[in-house]
Amino acid sequence: MKLFITLSLLLVSSLSIAAENNDAFTALQKLSHSLRTLNFSTSFVVIKNNNAEPYHWAHGVTEDNIELEVLSVLNGPHRDIVRRNNIVSYLEMGNTPHSINSAFINSPIPEILSGNTTQLNEYYDFVSLGRSRILGRTADSIRIVSKDPYRFNYWLWLDQESGLLLKLAVMNKQGQVLEQVQFTHLELNEAINPSLQQVKTSELPKVVDLPEEINKQEHPWQASWLPVGFKQINANTHRILHTQQPSEFKMFSDGLVDVSVYVSPSEEAQRQSGIVYDGATVVFNGISNNIEVSVVGKIPAETAQKIADSITFNLN
Amino acid sequence: MTENKFETVSSLVDDYQLSDDELNSALNDEQMSDTWSRYHLIGDVLRDDTLAEINIDLSKDIASAIAAEPTILAPKRTTLTQKFKGSVTKLVKPFGQVAIAASAATLMIIGVQQNIAGNDQITPNQVVQTNPVLGTAAPVSYQVEQTPSKVSQREAYIAQQRRFQALLADHNQQLKLKQVASQKTNLPESATVNSQQ
Repeated sequence: MKLFITLSLLLVSSLSIAAENNDAFTALQKLSHSLRTLNFSTSFVVIKNNNAEPYHWAHGVTEDNIELEVLSVLNGPHRDIVRRNNIVSYLEMGNTPHSINSAFINSPIPEILSGNTTQLNEYYDFVSLGRSRILGRTADSIRIVSKDPYRFNYWLWLDQESGLLLKLAVMNKQGQVLEQVQFTHLELNEAINPSLQQVKTSELPKVVDLPEEINKQEHPWQASWLPVGFKQINANTHRILHTQQPSEFKMFSDGLVDVSVYVSPSEEAQRQSGIVYDGATVVFNGISNNIEVSVVGKIPAETAQKIADSITFNLN
Repeated sequence: MTENKFETVSSLVDDYQLSDDELNSALNDEQMSDTWSRYHLIGDVLRDDTLAEINIDLSKDIASAIAAEPTILAPKRTTLTQKFKGSVTKLVKPFGQVAIAASAATLMIIGVQQNIAGNDQITPNQVVQTNPVLGTAAPVSYQVEQTPSKVSQREAYIAQQRRFQALLADHNQQLKLKQVASQKTNLPESATVNSQQ
């Protein structure tokens, strides 16, 4: 009898966990659908390093099904990013305006949230935690929890009515908040915002045509250890911004998180490694045996160190 | 301040025995404690064991930082005054919406304070926060290999900060271009890296 009760309890609890996962799945699917189809105008602040950076973000779809999006940084020098379907234009102070072919804006909100989140379920668990109140609205609380200790967790609060994002927090395993996106304003409209509609016809800067081969280079080294699910998405050789140091570069991604690895020869034989955090982004840098290795991405420092230590060179 | 007072401080610094009266007056006199810290600093400089960064006014900085600290709203034992405060907060509650803006403003103020604090330093403003994760709770400069002199130690620290800034900026630049690449190049599954736990 006792066995039966325990078994049935187990069954019930596993069923409820499954139900929670399903809730989280549905909410995330609704989020990505809403981010692609709704006409909204929002403001949010990114809180990291004891600093708040305000943004304005508007999105809309025209009657002839063209997706338009504008993201502006509100403090400091002007930085506007405009997207019209698959053309993204960067209009920044001190930089010549340029456009690139891309379906996403590189913003503080991970692009996967407006894409297919189900692909993440191999490396992350989705947990629904019920309701709370964010921005004066009823919100569903969802957590994207890493299955291994090599990644951060993402906590999301989604508007119950529209499905849109109201708050996002990147947490480490100890439950410390590393970075937060808090929405401070949300406006939903039936029709597209007239000022956004202008983007449809306005002339965007010329699209930079990057040769296809540029990101397919073969380097004589590899990271022999990466957390499960990280795949190489880019490989090129370029000079690092500001320092102009030539470097062989690879980018890895698990769909949610992107990690850059830089390898370059150095005149110094040895330099003890250093690590800094910018919000949730970790920067690792060190030299051993005249080879400088740097790892940058939203991963725990231990993971960055482990990736850097795993770099091996082909023997030719 | 009389010459006598200076002598008291001087003998204190030099570890001479003093009477309790002299010691008390030295402790209570602000001018004398200033002199005391200055004498020690001079001694340190002469002996060349100052830290890389001399922050003379640390105690004042801490005091003002504590004063600027937001009040922590934790439950405390109720006293009569607190009951009174309780009824006042009830009046304030309807303005809850303002709280979001206010909290954002507080954050900005903290940010601004940090910037001001950074202005009088020779080093570039430290945008990336150093967070000790591995090893000891020391700033980045101390993780750098021991260098022969303090000047080169400081230079190494600045160079390291620049390197971190550059890597962050470059990572962001590469993120922008990421989509272009992954759209055009659909890497076959074989290109994925085998992971070992």
